[in-house]
Amino acid sequence: MSIHTIEVLVENEPGVLARVSGLFARRAYNIDTLVVGPTSNPEVSKMVIQVNLEGHSLEQVIAQLDKLISVISIEELVDGAKKPVKDTQPDYQN
Amino acid sequence: MTTQHVPTANGTAMSGATSLVKSLEAANVDVMFGLPGGAILPAYDPIFDSTIRHILVRHEQGAGHAATGYAQVTGRAGVCIATSGPGATNLVTPLMDAGMDSVPLVAITGQVPSAAIGTDAFQEADIRGITMPFTKHNFLVTKAADIPRAIAEAFHIATSGRPGPVLVDIAKDALQTQTTFNWPAKIELAGYNPRITPDNQSIADAAALIAQSKKPVFYVGGGVIKAEASKELAQLVELLGAPVVTTLMARGAFPDSHPLHLGMPGMHGTVAAVTALQKADLLITLGARFDDRVTGKLSTFAVSAKVIHADIDPAEINKNKFADVPVVGDLRETITALIPALKAALEKSRPDLTPWNASMQKLKSTYPLGYTLPDDGSLSPQAVIERIGKISGSETIFTSGVGQHQMWASQFISYEHPRTWLNSGGAGTMGYGVPAAMGAKVGAPDATVWAIDGDGCFQMTNQELVTCALNNIPIKVAIINNESLGMVRQWQTLFYEGRYSNTSLESKRVPNFPMLAEAMGCVGLSCERPEDLDATIEKAMSINDQPVVVDFRVHRDAMVWPMVAAGTSNDEIMIARATAPDWDSQEL
Repeated sequence: MSIHTIEVLVENEPGVLARVSGLFARRAYNIDTLVVGPTSNPEVSKMVIQVNLEGHSLEQVIAQLDKLISVISIEELVDGAKKPVKDTQPDYQN
Repeated sequence: MTTQHVPTANGTAMSGATSLVKSLEAANVDVMFGLPGGAILPAYDPIFDSTIRHILVRHEQGAGHAATGYAQVTGRAGVCIATSGPGATNLVTPLMDAGMDSVPLVAITGQVPSAAIGTDAFQEADIRGITMPFTKHNFLVTKAADIPRAIAEAFHIATSGRPGPVLVDIAKDALQTQTTFNWPAKIELAGYNPRITPDNQSIADAAALIAQSKKPVFYVGGGVIKAEASKELAQLVELLGAPVVTTLMARGAFPDSHPLHLGMPGMHGTVAAVTALQKADLLITLGARFDDRVTGKLSTFAVSAKVIHADIDPAEINKNKFADVPVVGDLRETITALIPALKAALEKSRPDLTPWNASMQKLKSTYPLGYTLPDDGSLSPQAVIERIGKISGSETIFTSGVGQHQMWASQFISYEHPRTWLNSGGAGTMGYGVPAAMGAKVGAPDATVWAIDGDGCFQMTNQELVTCALNNIPIKVAIINNESLGMVRQWQTLFYEGRYSNTSLESKRVPNFPMLAEAMGCVGLSCERPEDLDATIEKAMSINDQPVVVDFRVHRDAMVWPMVAAGTSNDEIMIARATAPDWDSQEL
């Protein structure tokens, strides 16, 4: 199954959607759907992204996303539940 | 050289512009390279009074590469500053360049007043949007009160973790508004927490894997220099006694004179270095990123090797090549932890590396780097570069442009120390050489700094020699003048049947480089005959109160060898045109 759903908490600041969508575009990752909404913390927004991997690894997509300073944390959603991201190195939930 | 600034007390009232300058002082900036314009003009007024040395460049691209050269030599963040619109877009190439080579850079740009943003105002460009793909991070500041925090965060992000460029775009009205200075005591970024200390299990796994390997090779990248880990690397290499290769970005990380050093791998690497990676059973990868110029065709790269990949950037792990043992952390900490772990592992089992080392040493002696002198007795470009290296010595700092002269400068100069070889590795930016040399000389004023440049590259950024002449920055520039875009011409020779479409620059006719140099306040020299070579270099070495430019008029048909053609396997390395190494006589 090459479609995965990830939940990404980001700083609620101008341009953050461009940072995330731009990363997907320039690394040729494919977004199937993307939803952005508020969280209980006004400084933090939540993005739910369905990514169609098409040959890329989920680990690499997450690692590249995590390099964005505005990205706070990333989790994969599996059957509606949050699943800890399997990773080479645990920096994602910092 | 660190300037001691008088610290500014938090709560002091001042303009946003003054708070910018006070913030740069608080970040211990001692020099910046820039050029003013309308939107950044408010900042230039307090710069006039600052203890920070501002070097007025002739083109913003020069400011960016100079800041990079400064950063590469000192290990500190380089700073460049420009106005909005075209001033800012002229920084785009240096920012991309610094991103590709992980250089700590802070770029400050003026932006049109916040009310005018989005109106296509005069000199408006969305520089934050433009630089998003290749900056480590960037900011658009529209409120005066936010300036000190943005600057503090910019320096923190640029210099920590995997270093990189950060841009701070500041709206003109934010610079003009009155505010109170507030320098943050501590920086906390929820989304940024680079891992510095590697985990113990990875170190133990790496040590165990190394202790089982019969054919290991150290694949050393620029990260070793960034992490100041050369001393630790030397200890690790001595402990294991395995061969070492240093990538284009890592030249100088390990001494070229060391017997275990096989040279540079990759497209123009040595036969021994390329073959060591291909035939190894283990790559001990330290701060390198499996770039296509190193791996050749990836599916055929080091197929029987296990991989230890140590890097500070988790996203490099498994990006191009699967890592059996990933180790994320600062390289100096990583190598420091690996030494005792490996010592212990080797006490339990120590494979005999003698056959492996012997076959690599045989390759090294059978296929040394070399060149043939031109038949017509004209000047050989490789000989020019080799002699400059020999005469100038190993304490010299070298920069280069991009192309044949860059590869020869990497091949034929012996690098013994980190931070003595500066070039544009990832981006391949023609024109990097002269401004980077300017920044390097500012960062290391007591060192001899040579820019090994091509005649094509030199014509892109030589205007900064005016800056050098006026600001007492006496760099030396060797133009390796083959009157061509030499590397492109080489590809046309090899892959386009010698159809030299638009690669002839006619630089032996126009411009007259020595006269151009003199016009810019430099000493201009010229050398055409091999018998004059040493005397010309020595003449250039004797001039230390002015920049010197030497036009070395070399043979145009020299080519860079060895070569692994783009997209082919490293196994297809050629030592000369249509000449492969004699593999049958080698036991690997």
